Amino acid sequence: MAFDLLTTVEAGGCSAKISPEILEKVLAGFPVPVDPNILVDISTHDDAGVYRLTDNIALVLTTDFFPPVCSDAYEFGQIAAANSLSDVYAMGGKPILALNLIMFPSSRIPIEVYGEILRGGSDKAREAGVTIIGGHSIDDYPPKYGLAVTGIVDPARVITNSGARAGDILILTKPVGSGVILAASRMGMAKEQELAAARSYMKQLNNEGGRLMQEYNVKGATDITGFGLAGHALKMALGSDVTIRLSMKKVPLMEGVYSYINEGCIPGASFRNLDYAEKHTHFENDLDYNLRMASCDAQTSGGLLIAVNEHEAEKLLTDLKKSSHPEASIIGRVENKSSHALIIGN
Amino acid sequence: MMKIVDTKGLKCPAPLIKTRQTLNEAAEGESLHIIIDNPASLSNIKRFLKDNNLGFSEKEENGIWTIVVNRGEVLPPMENIKDYCSVEGGHTGKKVVVAITSDRMGEGDDELGSKLINSFFKVLPLIKPLPEAVVFYNSGVKLAVAGSPVLEFLKEIETKGVQLYLCTTCVDFFSLKDSISVGKISDMYQIINVLNEADLIIRP
Repeated sequence: MAFDLLTTVEAGGCSAKISPEILEKVLAGFPVPVDPNILVDISTHDDAGVYRLTDNIALVLTTDFFPPVCSDAYEFGQIAAANSLSDVYAMGGKPILALNLIMFPSSRIPIEVYGEILRGGSDKAREAGVTIIGGHSIDDYPPKYGLAVTGIVDPARVITNSGARAGDILILTKPVGSGVILAASRMGMAKEQELAAARSYMKQLNNEGGRLMQEYNVKGATDITGFGLAGHALKMALGSDVTIRLSMKKVPLMEGVYSYINEGCIPGASFRNLDYAEKHTHFENDLDYNLRMASCDAQTSGGLLIAVNEHEAEKLLTDLKKSSHPEASIIGRVENKSSHALIIGN
Repeated sequence: MMKIVDTKGLKCPAPLIKTRQTLNEAAEGESLHIIIDNPASLSNIKRFLKDNNLGFSEKEENGIWTIVVNRGEVLPPMENIKDYCSVEGGHTGKKVVVAITSDRMGEGDDELGSKLINSFFKVLPLIKPLPEAVVFYNSGVKLAVAGSPVLEFLKEIETKGVQLYLCTTCVDFFSLKDSISVGKISDMYQIINVLNEADLIIRP
């Protein structure tokens, strides 16, 4: 009988990420670094930094860690690693090296759990072709785990939040709803098959999506994580100076998500994301309330949101479906900037 | 008519789920008093009501908020309302936790003590409402291993939503790690939390 990692996280701890609103306020006072080799920094709302080393190689640097999202230590390690690696794929890069970041209460939890978390991370990194060459651990409760990842990318082929162009079609590669399913699990509402499905989405690498984006010469993309589909789509719209229009009925939802939201199982993070997004977002009047809240659901290791040239969209979608993303869907389009950066309808 | 939704002590998003459920059950014109003890739930519930066009008033006393909603419009019907468990567990009744500190019940004759603990767990699944949780420490953890005479009853209450917590130090002390067949291995932090949050602790 294995140790249940979820017993370490306060029931209903909502999402561990600091609200995007607070983050923007805090970071607003920081000087923007000046160096011509910095190709991507925080100013475009991207998740990873990109630094040009030579004309052909730029480094992609990113890190991410969080408290347990599932009971099994090995599975938690896999999910946390897949999530950390995702930012590199979202930038069009290839992750090569990583460091473990782990916080673990060594006197309170069986030490085998520590090993299992790291084994999960290491196996997921290997699947991605990434070597973990070190790390850092701190005694802390509850446990937290993630990677600091270094990837490489051709400086001319960096994919960013600011690369979406009016006319592009938006494709999402994974279904939405892991935040709701995790909350439903804490409330004892979720069924095991729904949890298993959510875990398998969270464990899935975004490597195939990343590879196909380069094949189709995509310039604008982001991965969907803690700020939810609405939050990340908004960051992309602001970064690209365009308006993004999403059709929530086209967004695939994980099994059970709609009915749990309908029952009021809406994590606190969704409300934080809604507060952040609504300043620049027009939610159409007839938008189903439950779909509005689904658009704000914080994702753990979510899919890629890809802005692709309209003439290539169907082909890319077909290729994504044939790869490891059978549920990839066209969920919206990019338009010339209008009064709202983001428009969300049914 | 009025309905009271007491969300005190409930963790996010349970207060909202309970509110949503009661709103759905409330008749037209009935008023709803939602009692809330934390600012995050308060803000989320207010936002939920606002977005669903439900008017409300609000008052605060000593860190406890009461929101009064007059049930006006009818919300769309809810699906799967029956599939609740732990949310129900947190309702107005007392939070009961059973502490099992030994593999026998009572002091005196050991053989009798074993018999008694067996019948305790045989009867426990029939008690309504079931306790929130059972914590096992010291030789109590021996009851959760493969071959334990009470294993089937423990499994039964676990499937009914009762949380079973086994002290990790005790499991290690008796070298039972590989034979534990039910429950969650937990640390002292978790066990103290469970005991601390209980309204009533039963120690057979």
